[in-house]
Amino acid sequence: MRPLTEPETQTLFSKLANYTGPSLKALIAPPPSSSSKEDTRMVFRMHQSRVYYCSLHIANLATSIARPNLLSVGTCLGKFTKTGKFRLHITALDIIAPHARYKVWVKPNGEMPFLYGGNIVKAHVGRWSEDCPEHQGVVVLKMDDTPLGFGVTARSTAETKRLEPTGITVFRQADVGEYLREEDTLFTT
Amino acid sequence: MAPTRTVKSSMKGAKSSSKPSALGAKKKPKAPPPKQQKTKPAQGPAKKKRRVYTDKELGIPKLNMITPVGVDLPKGKKKGKVFVDDQESMMTILAIVNANKEGQIESKMMKSRQMEEIREARRKEAEARQEQRKSKLEETKDSMRKKRKRKPDVAVDTESSDSVPKESKGGKAGRKRVSFA
Repeated sequence: MRPLTEPETQTLFSKLANYTGPSLKALIAPPPSSSSKEDTRMVFRMHQSRVYYCSLHIANLATSIARPNLLSVGTCLGKFTKTGKFRLHITALDIIAPHARYKVWVKPNGEMPFLYGGNIVKAHVGRWSEDCPEHQGVVVLKMDDTPLGFGVTARSTAETKRLEPTGITVFRQADVGEYLREEDTLFTT
Repeated sequence: MAPTRTVKSSMKGAKSSSKPSALGAKKKPKAPPPKQQKTKPAQGPAKKKRRVYTDKELGIPKLNMITPVGVDLPKGKKKGKVFVDDQESMMTILAIVNANKEGQIESKMMKSRQMEEIREARRKEAEARQEQRKSKLEETKDSMRKKRKRKPDVAVDTESSDSVPKESKGGKAGRKRVSFA
């Protein structure tokens, strides 16, 4: 387990910034109101090409475990591919959802198709953030604000308004259904 | 060192041979030899100090060699990865990334807005053209209708009102009739 290098940090942050706004800063520097001990500082650690987000205290404790024996620490954000790109996992949803810049709320009749791995059609969209450009990362939520996953917009908000009800508005990237569908491979290295 | 010395001795020898031997023998023991000897040993050590540098020491690349990227590490640089673990440097990276993303989103929005404007303008133009075409069609339709209405009027005006029924009667009369009694 090791900290990230500079290019890795840049790749990770640019991926996270696809979905979140400037409030991403809170991930690195917690608000001053919380106890600002050195141990409670949150850090990113890389282990077997996966990136984990955890407190420094836990990361330090984890150094006592041999590398082959260590399976996971803190929250897994995603993994670096062999080409050096970063792929976000569904486990990162809890971290990006509170800081999301653009959101899409799906109606109850659209929840199941999304959780089974489908894209979101216009008919299933309950509401969405205004002024959202094309191919922009969005967080998908239930109508009661429970995050379900994330994806990328197929069209801008203005174009979506003219779209027929069966037209795709958001391409799915990850959904919480993966916890069941990808159960065997999600946490294995 | 050695070759210079030999040259001297030869010169001396030559001089001595040209001049009478008695004179040469008198001069030799006096001044010149120690002076010359002093100067020449002084030149010798200076040449010795000149150091020959190897290509490696000077950092001269070897000719006709291709060194793949990453194989030749820069001198005086630490080996291995440079980690980013302090909050400040992470913040600066994040600020750069955020600024980049902001710019990208802004440019996307601008582009989409422009495209929307262009599309709107095109749609309006097309609508106006359609309207024009429609109005032209209506016009021609109206003119056709008027013409059709006018023609019977003209016929009525030119011919006498009686002639028309007559014609019609004549037409009727002219028709062949078959009756079965």
